[in-house]
Amino acid sequence: MIEFKNVKKVYPNGTVALDNVNLRINDGEFVFIVGASGAGKTTLMKLLLREEKLTSGSLTVDEFDLKKLSNFKVPYYRRQLGVVFQDFRLFPNKTVYENVAFAMRVIGEPSKVIRRRVPTILSIVNLQDKYNCFPRELSGGEQQRVALARAMANNPRIIIADEPTGNIDPKMSLEIMNLLVKIQKKGKTVIVVTHEKNLVDYFKQRVVTIGEGGVISDTVGGMYNAEV
Amino acid sequence: MRRYSLTYFIGQSFKGLWRNGVMSLASITVLMSCLLVMGSFSLLLANINYNMEEIGLLNEIVVFIDENSTDEQVAAIGTEIKGLDNVSGVRFISREEAHESEMAKLADHPNLLQRMSLDKEIYRHSYVITYSDNSRVSTLQYQLEHLENKGVSKIICRTDLAETIESLKSGITMIFIWFLAILMVVSIFVIINTIKLAVFARRQEISIMRYVGATNWFITLPFVFEGIFIGLLAGGIGYLLQWYLYTYVYNIIITDYNMISVMAYADISHYVIAAFLAIGVVTGIIGSSISLRKYLHA
Repeated sequence: MIEFKNVKKVYPNGTVALDNVNLRINDGEFVFIVGASGAGKTTLMKLLLREEKLTSGSLTVDEFDLKKLSNFKVPYYRRQLGVVFQDFRLFPNKTVYENVAFAMRVIGEPSKVIRRRVPTILSIVNLQDKYNCFPRELSGGEQQRVALARAMANNPRIIIADEPTGNIDPKMSLEIMNLLVKIQKKGKTVIVVTHEKNLVDYFKQRVVTIGEGGVISDTVGGMYNAEV
Repeated sequence: MRRYSLTYFIGQSFKGLWRNGVMSLASITVLMSCLLVMGSFSLLLANINYNMEEIGLLNEIVVFIDENSTDEQVAAIGTEIKGLDNVSGVRFISREEAHESEMAKLADHPNLLQRMSLDKEIYRHSYVITYSDNSRVSTLQYQLEHLENKGVSKIICRTDLAETIESLKSGITMIFIWFLAILMVVSIFVIINTIKLAVFARRQEISIMRYVGATNWFITLPFVFEGIFIGLLAGGIGYLLQWYLYTYVYNIIITDYNMISVMAYADISHYVIAAFLAIGVVTGIIGSSISLRKYLHA
């Protein structure tokens, strides 16, 4: 479970990015985070990834209290998350297989386990035939599927996708979203930050709208708030 | 706690070196150049000291014995001198030996010899003393002037020469130590900047590692190994170049300036290789660790 309680984030230059944010995301939920540019979505993600520390309030992710989490424990916390970015962030010099395997190697998985698990994950994202390709040899949609496979490699409880369809065509976007829904149905919590009104409206999941540094609407099975 | 494979890190380091070929080459070249400059100055300093030591060895103290002393008194003085601290050798020259030696020197000048009519009675027994530490000559001279056994008539000691050599040696050593220290600091800065460029080129790779939960040491270790390999390569190549350079200069000096003594490279090569590899590896490790620090904040 993820819980924001009266969360406030003020950057060193005095900018108040988030103020009094209260939000609870239960295990296994699918949540769209939407909002205009500068609304505070990125800050919300940074707090969740523990790239930034909150100024006041509390933020807990399962057993981790992110306000008190020491820098030493941050890598262990991040292993509970699978992260997908708009720009894919794949290792350009590693093959599809190596990109996925890397996430497992980081946490010290034995090579035997890696050799068994990576093909299984690649087949979930339908890339089993492209395991030996480099990212530059793949389309945007395929690269995002590799990123998704890497995010799932360590069987995390939470998947965070920051504008996952921002750099890919509509058909691929739908495919990526379907994959995310499929992952959520397997019991994972999925948080998707997006601007794509069509996708939000199509999937009819919980929609949290961020605006002016706070939560301005939170609806289950909702639609993209056109006024934002 | 799962164990990471050392071979994995070493493999990653080699891949990193290969993929960042230009930067790796730049790091090796810079480090090797710094080692060469430092090595050349160190060897110059070592040779200056070596020559100073040789000049120092020419220093002797001559103790003349009173002509009225008995053979027993002469022997007792000799024994006492041998027991003094800082005395490395004592050679007795009897008045007969001194006379013969002088006669031999003047053998080629018979007219002079005739005019001088050297009588052996004008000579005295003497002890020629060599010492090990130039810096303590004054103490030795004082001890010789205050021997328990009486009978010393005169002491000839070039304390001024010994002190000049000693202060010259200390001065040169100090200048070179400071010079080497400055050179070392400059080298580390140059290496850090070179490795920083390599790390900067791979900052995205590091940020991905952080997102997938890599610990700082997991991120650092391949870079540290890279630093070690860069240091080893720079040290190894630098050693070979130093060898060539030193031998080249050595041959010129022993051919054209044979009054200068030069240490043989074979006598010092093990120090050079050890120092080059050690400095190379340490600089590589420090350079990569400092360069990465910025990217390791959670």
